[in-house]
Parts: sequence; structure tokens; C-alpha cells
Amino acid sequence: MSVLEIIDLKTWFQTQDGLVKAVNSVNLRIEKNERVGLVGETGCGKTVLSFSIIRLLQPTTMIEGKILYKSKDILKLSEREMQKIRGKEIAMILQNPTTALNPVLKVGDQIAEAIWLHQGLKKKEAKEKAVEMLEAVKIPLAEKRANEYPHQFSGGMKERALIAIGLACCTSLIIADEPTRGLDVTTKAQIIKLMKDMTKQRSMLFITHDLEVAAEICDNIAMMYAGELVEYAKTDDVFKNPLHPYTQGIFNSLPNRGLKPIKGMSPSLIDLPSGCRFYQRCDYAREICKNRHPEMVEMENGHFVRCLLYD
Amino acid sequence: MRAEYLIKRVFYSVLVFFITVGITFAVLRQIPRSYPGLDKSVIAQYFVYIYNVLQGDWGYSQGVPVLGLIWEKLYWSLIILVPAISLSLLIGILVGAHFGWKRGSKMDASVLNVMMFTRAIPPYWWAIMFILIFSFHLDLFPLGGYMSISALDRGISYSDILYHSALPIITLTVYSIPGTYYLMRNSMLLTVGEDYILTARAKGLSEKYVLFKHVLKNAMLPMVTMIPLECAYLIAGNIFIEIIFSWPGIGLLTFDAIAAKDFSLLQGIVLIDALLIIIANFSADLFYSHIDPRIKVGGGNV
Ligand SMILES: Nc1ncnc2c1ncn2[C@@H]1O[C@H](COP(=O)(O)OP(=O)(O)OP(=O)(O)O)[C@@H](O)[C@H]1O
Ligand SMILES: [Mg+2]
Repeated sequence: MSVLEIIDLKTWFQTQDGLVKAVNSVNLRIEKNERVGLVGETGCGKTVLSFSIIRLLQPTTMIEGKILYKSKDILKLSEREMQKIRGKEIAMILQNPTTALNPVLKVGDQIAEAIWLHQGLKKKEAKEKAVEMLEAVKIPLAEKRANEYPHQFSGGMKERALIAIGLACCTSLIIADEPTRGLDVTTKAQIIKLMKDMTKQRSMLFITHDLEVAAEICDNIAMMYAGELVEYAKTDDVFKNPLHPYTQGIFNSLPNRGLKPIKGMSPSLIDLPSGCRFYQRCDYAREICKNRHPEMVEMENGHFVRCLLYD
Repeated sequence: MRAEYLIKRVFYSVLVFFITVGITFAVLRQIPRSYPGLDKSVIAQYFVYIYNVLQGDWGYSQGVPVLGLIWEKLYWSLIILVPAISLSLLIGILVGAHFGWKRGSKMDASVLNVMMFTRAIPPYWWAIMFILIFSFHLDLFPLGGYMSISALDRGISYSDILYHSALPIITLTVYSIPGTYYLMRNSMLLTVGEDYILTARAKGLSEKYVLFKHVLKNAMLPMVTMIPLECAYLIAGNIFIEIIFSWPGIGLLTFDAIAAKDFSLLQGIVLIDALLIIIANFSADLFYSHIDPRIKVGGGNV
């Protein structure tokens, strides 16, 4: 039984400028203890996809499809039932550590409240466990730090504190949204190690811009482009044999592989092209790509790609 | 550090006080009249004035010491101002918080409209309306004044004062609720959209818990700094209220001082208003430093 199975998920926002189709027909499966990397450019819908899973989008959002968590469709759960899942079964580590911690509450208390809520401990015991969590994410002088406020923490420490909140009670699935963004090289390496060590017994959806970071942590990689998945494979396969021109383009833009950025910009999610969404930026684009929207096809065992080159 | 912050605040308060005194002094000096130390230089006159003010000698109005006069009237003004400020803050914050949380509902839109309408109307219009409706037609409250004629025989009583002050308080409260409400609602809207609220929800906390533990505390922060402004706004609005209700406070005194071109008195009134607002500001700063940890500790990396 998969921990998470997303089936044909669409997440759209009605805005004044039009319908923003942020997530389009996404299918994704995460097995027990599996770590899946979700990689894509800014604005391609990674965060919206994760908020759809944990159901923290405003009520006016249009969500279609199924999100099966241990075979249960969480899109059908009531808010009450969802609250029992959040933080306990599925936890989310938000993207921006400078804004994701409450400035007027002590860091220790922000961890403790999750523990107190889900594990039925007394406040004092929860606080002790919170200190243990801070130790686990390698914050020095954890006892003292637990009584400090977020503004007294450095960027890397805030990220650690956020990870501690996410991992405090969560046993099953962690969604980590860009936990390494904006960190210096050393801190980044430490956070990567931490994420790897701490999620050994858990499943994880790891969101990042950075293929190399994904490669260090994840078993499988899903490439996302303009609201849809365009390639999915084992990490090794993606690195040895990237199939989609977009994935290849991302590789070519890496510093050690030529630093050649993909030309152009991704299409607006309000006005998506009817054919291939990568058409305008693709070096292999043909006439047919302009009007035909490719389906996801399985090329080799477990290696999926959405491109007419392989049709 | 906290102490450092407080010293800074005290210093600024004193500075503001001297500047205010200086400006009143400079403006009122333009009006030809006689006052102590006229033969000395301007600077010397300013210091004489300051010295006198600090000594409690605020000049004389028709032979009566200004400070004593103001002190007595201030008491009456506070009978209206303190309940009006407390009530409007309480109601404004509660209503603002409620509809900021339940934003977008039909009720929210209607309340917003009513509040904007209320805000646009000057205080004397409310005063006249309320007198017409509640005093004249319904006969629930007196038409004005601060005690009944019968009090001349029976002596002044609290209930009589309460009875007379009710309508001015209600008017002033109604006049100032929208400002507080609007700021609180706005502050709620901003706070609810913050990332840390999403973090809180992602922990599985209930909506109620998120509201009370995470949203309200943050949304209240800007309100604290805004309370002194609200006080200034009310002190100004109160002038009209006191005139219309013939309430014997600072507002009515201001009106009389202007009518009689009594500049020593006017100077004293400006001074006392400035002092009130400086004190309100200082208390707000003190309170703010208590509830916002970013100020309490200082240093650290922001
Ligand atoms: N509440 C919303 N209403 C309307 N549009 C939204 C909303 N939330 C997100 N979007 C839009 O959906 C698109 C996808 O946003 P998302 O935050 O998921 O991108 P992302 O892949 O996480 O980017 P980044 O790497 O910069 O974090 C963006 O164009 C964004 O503007
Ligand atoms: Mg994002």
C-alpha cells in the first residue's frame, strides 16, 4: 500500500486576471520510506501541489481528483478529520524559514504545541520533548535556545527549528518545501545530511529547484513544468538518461555541465498553450508539438516522460 | 536591551514635551499681550516660561490660576474620555477581530459599510442626532449639562452624573469605534495571510487555537501603537461633544477660551493635551515592549 497516491489532481485558483491552473492532472505515488524529489522552476506549482496534499489552500480553491493517503481520499475528509492528520501523519515544512516561524512565540513552545496536541503529553513534558527535538536537529545549547524567539536564530537555525516542528510528531509523510534554499554551502550540506538522517523511517516529498540536492536525498525524482509532471524516474535514471528536453535543459544549466540556461520563460498558468507546454523553449520542437498535448508514457521500467519525441 | 529602550523612550517623550511647549510658546507669542518677562530676550522668555510651567505656574486666566482651572475641568473630561476610549477600543477590537477572522462573509461586508458610513460623519452630527432621538423624542437622557436641577437641593450624586454623561460617552464611542475596528480588521487580514499561520495550521492545531494563540497576539501589536493616536483623535472630537452637551470639561473650556481670546488659558490647554498624548504614547511603548519579544531583548539577528 502506498503512503500517498495522487490521482489526476487539478488545483486551480479563480483570480481577477483569470483562472490560474497551478496544478494540472498530476499523478504521483509515494511508497513507504520512499523519498521523492519534486523539481521545477519557480512558479511551476510545487508549493500549490504540497498545500493541496495537506489541504491548506483557501476554501475558494478548486481542487479535483483524488489524494489517497493510505488508501483514504483526504480530499473528502472534514476539516476536523484533516486536523488529526496534519502534523501527525503528514507534516509540512514551509518554504521560507524567516516568515514561517511565529515572531512572538518562543521557538520551544512552537515545537511543543505540536507534541502536546498529538501525543497527549502535559505541557511541561511536551516542552522537554521539544528541547530533545532541537537537540536532534543539532541546535547547540538546545535548552537555552528553546526559550528564545525566532529573531534570535540565524537563517540556518530557523530552518532547523522548522524541521524540528515538522518532525516532532510526524510519523508518516514529510513534505519539505525547499529547506536548502538561500543557505550557504556548509549549512546546506548540514541540512541535507539532517534531512537524510531524520527521515530514514519516513516517506518524504522533497521540493527543490536544485537537481543535485534532490539527487543526494531522493530515491525518485519528479520533474514539474508549468503545473504538470513531465518526467518521473529513479534518481539514477534521471541523471544517467534524462529524457525530457526540459530535464536535459536543467542539466545543461548546472554549473558543472556548462551553465547554459534554458532560453525563454515558462508559459503563464492563466493562458496555457494547447500543445506541449515546453514547445516555445524546446530545441527539438516540431510542428506537431504546437497543437498536440503529450501524455505521460512509460519508456523503460518506471521511467515516465511526457514528450512527443517518444510517442 | 530593555532598559536602554526605556531610557530612549523617556528621552524622546521629554524632547517632544519641550518641542511642543516651544511651538505653543512661539505661536502664542505672536499675539500681542502682556506676560511675565516681556523685557527679556526670547530665549530667556522661553526658559522663564518652561521654568514656570515646571513649577506649576501656568499663568492666570481672569485672576484664576490656569493649572487649577484645567485640573478641575480635566476631571470632568476624563469622566467622558476614559469610558469612551475603553469602550471604543473594546468594541472596535472585538468586532474588527471577529470580522477579520470571518472575512468575506456577507455580514463582514455589511459591517464594513456601516463602519465606513459612521466614520464619515462628524461627531457633532451624531451628538445632535442622539440628543434628538434619545433625549428629545424618547426622553431617555437629559438634553445636556452634568447634573439635574434637583441636585442643587439633594447634592451631587454619582448616578446623576452617570445619567448625564451616558449620552456624551455613547456619542464619542460611536464616533471612534470605526477607526479601531478598521485597523483591527486590517491587522487581522494581514496576520492571517502570514506564513507562520500556515505553519501553525500544518501542525494540525484547531482553528480556535490558531486564532487565539497565533493570530490575535500578532494582530494586536499594531493596535497598541495606534492607541495614542486614537486618544488624540478622541480628545479633538470631544471638544464638539462637550460643547453640544454643555459638559463642563476641557473641550468646553477650550471653546470658552477661544471665544474670550484668553491666550494664557489656551496655552495651558494645548500643554495639557500634549501631555496627555505624550503619556499615552509612552504607556503604549511600555506595553509594546512587553508583548513584542523583538523589542524586549534587542540585539540578535533579525
Ligand atoms: N492563492 C493563490 N491564488 C492565485 N494564484 C496562486 C495562489 N497560490 C499560488 N498561485 C500561483 O500558482 C503558481 C504556482 O505557485 P507555487 O507557489 O506553487 O510555485 P512554486 O513552484 O512553489 O515556486 P517557487 O519555487 O518559487 O516556490 C504561481 O503562478 C502562483 O502565482
Ligand atoms: Mg514554492
